Amino acid sequence: MKHAQAEIVREYGPYEGIENVHGLTFDGKTVWFASGERLNALNPGDGALGRVIEVPADAGTAFDGQHLYQLADDRIQKIEPDSGRVVATIPTPGGAGSGLAWAEGSLWVGQHRNRKIVRVDPETGAVLRTIDCSRFVTGVTWVDSELWHGTWEAGESDLRRIDPDSGEVLHRLDLPPDTGVSGLESDGGDLFYCGGGASGKVRAIRRPRG
Amino acid sequence: MDSLINAAARALASGDTLGALKRVATRDDAPALALRGIAMAQLGEFDSAKVLLRRAARAFGPREAVARARCIVAEAEIALVSRDLGRPATKLAAARATLEAHGDRANALHARNIEARRLLLVGRLGEAEALLTEAVPETFPPALRAGHELVTAGIAIRRLEARRAGEALRRAGLAARQAGIEALAADVESASLALTVPAARLIARGTERPLLLAEVETILTTDALIFDACRSLVGHRDQTVSLASRPVLFALARALAEAWPNDVARSDLLKRAFGARHVDESHRARLRVEIGRLRATLRPLVGIEATSTGFTLAPPPATDVVVLAPPVDEKDAAVLALLADGESWSSSSLALALGASPRTVQRALERLAESGKVQAYGRGRAHRWVAASVPGFPTALLLPGALAID
Repeated sequence: MKHAQAEIVREYGPYEGIENVHGLTFDGKTVWFASGERLNALNPGDGALGRVIEVPADAGTAFDGQHLYQLADDRIQKIEPDSGRVVATIPTPGGAGSGLAWAEGSLWVGQHRNRKIVRVDPETGAVLRTIDCSRFVTGVTWVDSELWHGTWEAGESDLRRIDPDSGEVLHRLDLPPDTGVSGLESDGGDLFYCGGGASGKVRAIRRPRG
Repeated sequence: MDSLINAAARALASGDTLGALKRVATRDDAPALALRGIAMAQLGEFDSAKVLLRRAARAFGPREAVARARCIVAEAEIALVSRDLGRPATKLAAARATLEAHGDRANALHARNIEARRLLLVGRLGEAEALLTEAVPETFPPALRAGHELVTAGIAIRRLEARRAGEALRRAGLAARQAGIEALAADVESASLALTVPAARLIARGTERPLLLAEVETILTTDALIFDACRSLVGHRDQTVSLASRPVLFALARALAEAWPNDVARSDLLKRAFGARHVDESHRARLRVEIGRLRATLRPLVGIEATSTGFTLAPPPATDVVVLAPPVDEKDAAVLALLADGESWSSSSLALALGASPRTVQRALERLAESGKVQAYGRGRAHRWVAASVPGFPTALLLPGALAID
């Protein structure tokens, strides 16, 4: 397993009126992050906030190229980004989730204290398979066929790449003490965006290559 | 940390207690237990709240120190609101240190406010003051700043410092309005009443008038010889003699001070100090002994001289003599004053706060209950007393909003 300290490239926020950053996702241009009662658009270039979509947004966020997905309460909402309309809802497996990612035609739901990642059919909410992890799972993301997830347990956080078949940890990036990772999303290139929970911050972290 | 926990925390923060419970009611993991505990506390179900928070603290495990510490703070706040003052506060102090070490400054301040309120209630003013010496920066949540100012005002009121109390209450009112919490604003308002209703009566040269706290503060800085019946003290300038543990001596001293510059007949002194109706020779002998003791105790401040019919005070030349008495001369005024905060008290907590024996307090409560001034409910260890005039039990719970792991 490779192991290193996480390199924090940039910090955004905290922003006025936003107490908690939960899940987040990247649509190629904009970072969308969940803050309890809404989804906020963040321009990663200048750090400015833009549009707001008023939907309950309690945990993970994902983007399938067309729609946003947002965990709230015991369900996953499918949202049209332009109108902000919720076009469909499916139940969250197990009734609650922490992280949310889109890949290979499926939704991947992180289950925090269950220490699991669950692959879910985005139409029906049916569970397709379950990966066991060794730590409390927060955000989840796929990039270049790599499955990464955040952990947040006992005041310690890291990002880790796991083998999607065995759950084995392949790579680990430790965050400084009391720096938590809630949501996690790759920008498709060299960066991860991480939600910072009650710090109200969004952090950009360097993604290691190879 | 997961969607249901966050949704429940969001519901709690917006005052939707039942909405929060609905989301976590059937879950037994640590964050869910903590949120259930807080919801129960907000519904006034203190016993189940305590059990849930204790279970949550255990479930969080030793490595989740911050989350555990928050549970301990929440439990301490419930103990304070339900006037369960008997147990030691060492766990709370340790939790505060943990929160400070991990940079959770808001919850650490909350813990500090709770500790100081507890010390204030049990009359340990110096220790309460030491906890609150630092001013709270504007960056802290307004509800916490209001809580801090309320304790500061409480200490000032106990110390009879009206101006300091008024300033703290004004700042508390501003912060409470900023927080937008109704219950907190109401707390500040009822605390402010202490400054606008008589805090004491002044008895001097046969006349009597009510005094506001600010006037009491002024009187205490004058040159008069003060017989303080609220605290059983006799004081002149910087010198004081406490007669708190000698009620007979203070009753004699007060009778002499109220009559000054006239004397008090022996028979009247016997009535006031011993409740004696028929005076016989053994009473006269006892009076001589007690006057002798009083004379020795008060020697640095004031003399006591015998007259043809009784005794009189002999203060230093050009010194006035005044008596500060409680606003109502009720035998059990101190107990009523504590119950006036509207909370429910156990008799042992009242005894702790008054520095009196549990049996004395128990007798006072029974007398007050007979005259319909207090009410009791609960059985055994859960037996509690409330002032009869108070509708419901206002609970100024400021429990930390989100106990989730972040």
